[in-house]
Amino acid sequence: MLIENMIMAFHAIKANKMRSFLTMLGIIIGIGSVISIVSIGDTMRGLFSDLYKDVGITQAYISIGYWLDDIRQSDYFTLDDLERIKEVFGDEIAYIDADSATSSDVQAGRIKMKFNFSGIDYNYIDVQPVDIIYGRYLNKGDILGRRKNVVIKVESAEQLFGTENAVGKTFRTTIYGYTDEYTVVGVYKKEMNAFQALMMGGRSDTGSAYIPYTILTWPNDLNYYCHLFAAEGTDMNDFMSRLLTYIAKLKGRNASDYYTQTAVEQMGSVDGVMGALSSAVGGIAAISLLVGGIGIMNIMLVSVTERTREIGIRKALGAKTRDVLIQFLTESAILSASGGIIGVALAVSLVTVGGMALGLPVIIKPMVILLAVSFSAVVGIFFGIYPASKAAKADPIDALRYE
Amino acid sequence: MFGRNKLSPYVTENLSEDLIRLENLVKIYDTGAIKVLGLKKINLTIQRGEFVAIMGHSGSGKSTLMNILGCLDRPTLGHYYLDGIDTASLSSNELSAVRNLKIGFVFQSFNLISRTSALKNVELPMTYARISKRKRSERAMELLECVGLGKRAYHMPNELSGGQRQRVAIARALANEPPLILADEPTGNLDTAASIEIMEIFSELHKAGATVVVVTHEENIAAFTHRIIRFSDGQIVSDERNPNPTPGSGDVHTKGLYKNRATGAQRGQSKELEQAKDAGKGDNVC
Ligand SMILES: Nc1ncnc2c1ncn2[C@@H]1O[C@H](COP(=O)(O)OP(=O)(O)O)[C@@H](O)[C@H]1O
Ligand SMILES: [Mg+2]
Repeated sequence: MLIENMIMAFHAIKANKMRSFLTMLGIIIGIGSVISIVSIGDTMRGLFSDLYKDVGITQAYISIGYWLDDIRQSDYFTLDDLERIKEVFGDEIAYIDADSATSSDVQAGRIKMKFNFSGIDYNYIDVQPVDIIYGRYLNKGDILGRRKNVVIKVESAEQLFGTENAVGKTFRTTIYGYTDEYTVVGVYKKEMNAFQALMMGGRSDTGSAYIPYTILTWPNDLNYYCHLFAAEGTDMNDFMSRLLTYIAKLKGRNASDYYTQTAVEQMGSVDGVMGALSSAVGGIAAISLLVGGIGIMNIMLVSVTERTREIGIRKALGAKTRDVLIQFLTESAILSASGGIIGVALAVSLVTVGGMALGLPVIIKPMVILLAVSFSAVVGIFFGIYPASKAAKADPIDALRYE
Repeated sequence: MFGRNKLSPYVTENLSEDLIRLENLVKIYDTGAIKVLGLKKINLTIQRGEFVAIMGHSGSGKSTLMNILGCLDRPTLGHYYLDGIDTASLSSNELSAVRNLKIGFVFQSFNLISRTSALKNVELPMTYARISKRKRSERAMELLECVGLGKRAYHMPNELSGGQRQRVAIARALANEPPLILADEPTGNLDTAASIEIMEIFSELHKAGATVVVVTHEENIAAFTHRIIRFSDGQIVSDERNPNPTPGSGDVHTKGLYKNRATGAQRGQSKELEQAKDAGKGDNVC
């Protein structure tokens, strides 16, 4: 019976193609925009979480509050402080350094270029994996001995030395006023997708290299930042509050005197932006679904009037109130759900094409599609109730006499 | 009979009663400004197995009566007993069930559902009787073959001639094998040849045991029936037996149209049926 009704509904919708399509338009737009925005949101969230996974989801920065008036020399982190923090928190901290970085001009032969130097510890590769394609990574000896060794990015090697395999080559640069010769001990490579490249600044003419952080902290070893990666799976809120308490005690400050930044917080703000966008578009979608639903109610009323005679015939043949009610409810549900399906199809192709054009992996959840189509059917049923009950209540003889 | 298992008493047959009994039936059309008296105190009994013509001028109240007999409309005053049950006591859904299972209605204007195949049209009453899809399309096909439209089963109403449409409508009226067939000017929109075809089908149905009531204003159509009731101005003016009903040509083969009903009717409910049998016409019918 239900299948009969559905077939009947399809025939009725097909009999008035243009009218049905125009009626569906509101639903198409409503469902289409919901699916688009949800998919864009999911895609963005996916991209950001990939990005932060790459950046390190447990990454955190701690510094003395920039708002304090009485910043003292003792508020800076010394290498000893970092060492102590590492000891106290043990395995909870996967990596710690002073987030030291600088940029400077380098020269090799006749080629001169600007370089960004990141001061790292030997185990930075554990939290920020890169492929070492030539030579080696920095080792403990390099760090402790403040050796003037660097690991250089493959593109920068190409630019500076004209070859990817720059192991053993040297360049001169001046860091904090001291000009020295530095030796390339390794070349690394990092793969990025289009979005990461965009967010990370992508290709630039500035070279990149890792340098022992002990070189950059020398000679006074006073650091503004404590930069760390907690162990994977750490509850960052709990960890950060314990860490701050410890640091405050260590440095004779209050925990509230410190400024912190975590990847988790930044991700939260992405979610916040997406959330705001979603509710704005959600509002538009709700209005177009409402308007679409009223359109469906209107066209169903027209359809019921046009088919009064048919209703009379059906009743004469034994259709009960419920039979007629279900017939018209099915019709409006299918009308609306068809609009929903078209909307989904439009949104999916739009988002997919957009994603392909931008070279991004698009996330479209089947559950969202299922929900949207079911919801549009529910809209159809809701707005079909009045026309359908009007049809169902028709008196058989009056309906048959209707001209 | 199939499909009747879970139905309440009002749709099971009560063979000890007259099929139709009207007591002081009055129908007033209240159009606001004026009240039209459609039927004035009708008293009428029709027994099982009768073949009746209702005649009268236009506006004499024939359709008004048929609509009430068909449970499409309710009388203003008086009682209509169908199978001994006062139809006034039935709810609109119960009346739907009565129309579905006890009454086959044939209209002057065919009233097929457009853009719906002949087969689907014939299936409709069975759909509402909740008969399984396989059974009902089997039965619908059989009925269409009986009325000579087996090859037209998948045609839409607008692809059929008037006579063919009316035969589809008759097949549809018979779908649930109702005991009562009501036809309001079934030949009104048809030419003579098609009209005779239709009346022959009704004759065969009558022989098979159905109770058939036909409204007409043509004498040669009424001549097929066994009892002629004349109406004028909302009242019965005469009610006579037709001693020499036009015999069917025997050309129509209605085997299957009304297959299960015959046995019930042959139990001696109708004198006329017996006469028909005596005349040797009732033997090979369905
Ligand atoms: N729906 C109606 N509203 C008002 N008057 C009606 C209606 N139907 C029929 N009538 C009146 O009732 C009388 C009988 O009509 P009807 O039964 O249709 O006659 P017939 O079928 O014999 O031509 C007529 O006078 C007609 O005008
Ligand atoms: Mg009439």
